[in-house]
Amino acid sequence: MSNDKNIKSAGSSPPSGGLGGYIKEVFTAVKSMLVGMRRTGYYFTHHKEIITQQYPDNRETLNLPERFKGEVVMPHDEKNEHRCTGCQACELACPNGTIKVIFKNEVTPEGKKKKAIDKLVYHLELCTLCNLCVVACPSDAIVMAQTFEHSVFDRSKLTKVLNNPGSKIMEGVE
Amino acid sequence: MLSFSEIANSIHEWLSSHLNNTWTLVVEMVIAGVLVISLFALLGLILVIMERKVSAWMQIRLGPNRVGPKGLLQSFADTLKLLVKEGMTPGGADKFLFNFAPFLAMIVAMLLMAPIAFAKDFQLWNINIGVLYVTAVSSISVISILMAGWASNNKYSLLGAMRSGAQIVSYELSAGLSILSVVVLTGSLSLSDIIASQQNGWWIFKGHIPVLISFVIFLIAVTAETNRAPFDLAEAESELTAGFHTEYSGMKFALFFLAEYINVFIVCAIGATLFLGGWMPFHIGNWQGFNNVMDYIPSSIWFFGKTFFLIFVIMWFRWTFPRLRIDQLLNLEWKYLLPISMFNLLLVTAMAILGWHF
Amino acid sequence: MNGHTIIFYLLALLTLGSGLLAVTSRQLFRSAIYLLFSLIGIAGIYFWLQYEFIAAVQIVVYVGGIVVLIIFSVFLTHQAGEKLPVPKVSNQIIGGVAAFCTMALIMLQLFKYSYKPTAAKPIEPTVANIGEQMLGTETGGYALPFEVVSILLLAALVGCIIIAIAPPNLPRGEEKAR
Repeated sequence: MSNDKNIKSAGSSPPSGGLGGYIKEVFTAVKSMLVGMRRTGYYFTHHKEIITQQYPDNRETLNLPERFKGEVVMPHDEKNEHRCTGCQACELACPNGTIKVIFKNEVTPEGKKKKAIDKLVYHLELCTLCNLCVVACPSDAIVMAQTFEHSVFDRSKLTKVLNNPGSKIMEGVE
Repeated sequence: MLSFSEIANSIHEWLSSHLNNTWTLVVEMVIAGVLVISLFALLGLILVIMERKVSAWMQIRLGPNRVGPKGLLQSFADTLKLLVKEGMTPGGADKFLFNFAPFLAMIVAMLLMAPIAFAKDFQLWNINIGVLYVTAVSSISVISILMAGWASNNKYSLLGAMRSGAQIVSYELSAGLSILSVVVLTGSLSLSDIIASQQNGWWIFKGHIPVLISFVIFLIAVTAETNRAPFDLAEAESELTAGFHTEYSGMKFALFFLAEYINVFIVCAIGATLFLGGWMPFHIGNWQGFNNVMDYIPSSIWFFGKTFFLIFVIMWFRWTFPRLRIDQLLNLEWKYLLPISMFNLLLVTAMAILGWHF
Repeated sequence: MNGHTIIFYLLALLTLGSGLLAVTSRQLFRSAIYLLFSLIGIAGIYFWLQYEFIAAVQIVVYVGGIVVLIIFSVFLTHQAGEKLPVPKVSNQIIGGVAAFCTMALIMLQLFKYSYKPTAAKPIEPTVANIGEQMLGTETGGYALPFEVVSILLLAALVGCIIIAIAPPNLPRGEEKAR
């Protein structure tokens, strides 16, 4: 049983160390094979390790891994406020132009004019879910959601506006 | 107690009381043929679902679980699919050889069934050179692979066939030498004699470490001879699509597939017979009570239990180790297995002459 | 004509028919396959005679060894898939005459020889007997031929290794290029 050993000493390098080296090599090979077989044997007998998700059946109890990325969303709090300042960092960071920021001018209670986002347009059909926009955002306005059932009958439905209608920027976020 | 040999004897008596000698023989041959074919079909169904379940559990998956209870009827569905599929013959192929190759593979597998003792006194052909017969006939199986590879007129098939030829021819040596070590200890080539010699303990226990080494070498060599991973270079999917059966479809493909599993069963049955005592129950020295309990289990269950254990070990190999490259494969045989098994045979011979085994 | 004879004629038909096909086929690979069946037919006749050991050795040596070797050389031959040209008429005639003369000679000897029943009991073809006969040094033993053949095979093996081994003084790159 010396598969693993042969992978190490593959090709032309001859076993070194004469007969003793040869015997040692065979023993290490057998040992390393037994280690591999113990691992698979463990998995074979411990069915609780099985990671298969029987997806359409367990839709309610589906257990997605923490880092699974489904789409970009912008979280809003209960007062319909978001954290996006419209800095365009995400738009610049996106490698394939998925995000477009459309501005509007807003008047603050003090009477100053202030630039704010009108719409944050997100093209899911172009997105590769690379997470670069989320990393680039200085105010953590966008995050990756775990929804993944995105199929629709019309491509235009994949173009989404991330901020809710009538939403405002949160107090204190600059 | 109802046993296979009693059933066979009563059938023989009933037939010979109704027919003359020749017709008894003919009817018995027909019955044996039908039984062998149905055993093939059954083994195919069982081994395929077993392989899929074992592979799934070893890879932390669930495996087939839709058809039937816990997916156990999956192989019926697969067989049905293969049966209704069209068997294509490529335009540039050598039609006669292309269509003949899968049948040759099956014929060889069938011939190999003959000397195997399935239970106590239950054997199709008690030939006095059983072991040699098995090694001889199994060497024909390489011809069917070479034939399929050549007749397909496809470079992948041809490459796969040549690889498998080189592999089988070289691993036959160490398989033969490890079989010889048991033959040396028994002094007979007949499978029934070999089983009878293990009455007081299986060779793997009686023969100490040398027989254990030859058992391990036997397992490795037969894994290579049946073209199974980690030695499946003949059908390496990533390099040769499917190797020698790239061009086969439908029932002709199914025959190759079935022949592979039947060959696995046969080599495991031979391994169980040589090293694990065939249908002999497990006995420990003088523990009369324990031995009597073991004797109570039917011999066929012992045989199939041991065989399926070895099949499981070979599947375990398959789903644990990565595939070897062709140079690693030949290195393993010629630089490691062959010298070790030759030296080991020498040890076993010395042991047999000096009587150092139990 | 009982079952025994029928089986003999079937085996003879397989041997002779596939032998004939092996020499008449225009495709090299098919010839090798027909040769295989001819050899299997001979092994079948040994089985029919209940010389199981000889039959198994016939299969091991000829089918597992020689035919596989032939098929490998066919695979490695250039343009092996093409049909061979029909040989010249003169060659065909010479070959036919040679084959006929050989067959006539063998047949003549066979029919001239008178078979005498022997009183000695036939040796049981068991493995132990064959082994003792093979290495026996007394009359009827084959120890000397056995050893001579072993030396021949050893010489062949050493020769193969000498041819296959790379000259040790060559650097690695050159060795690959060879």
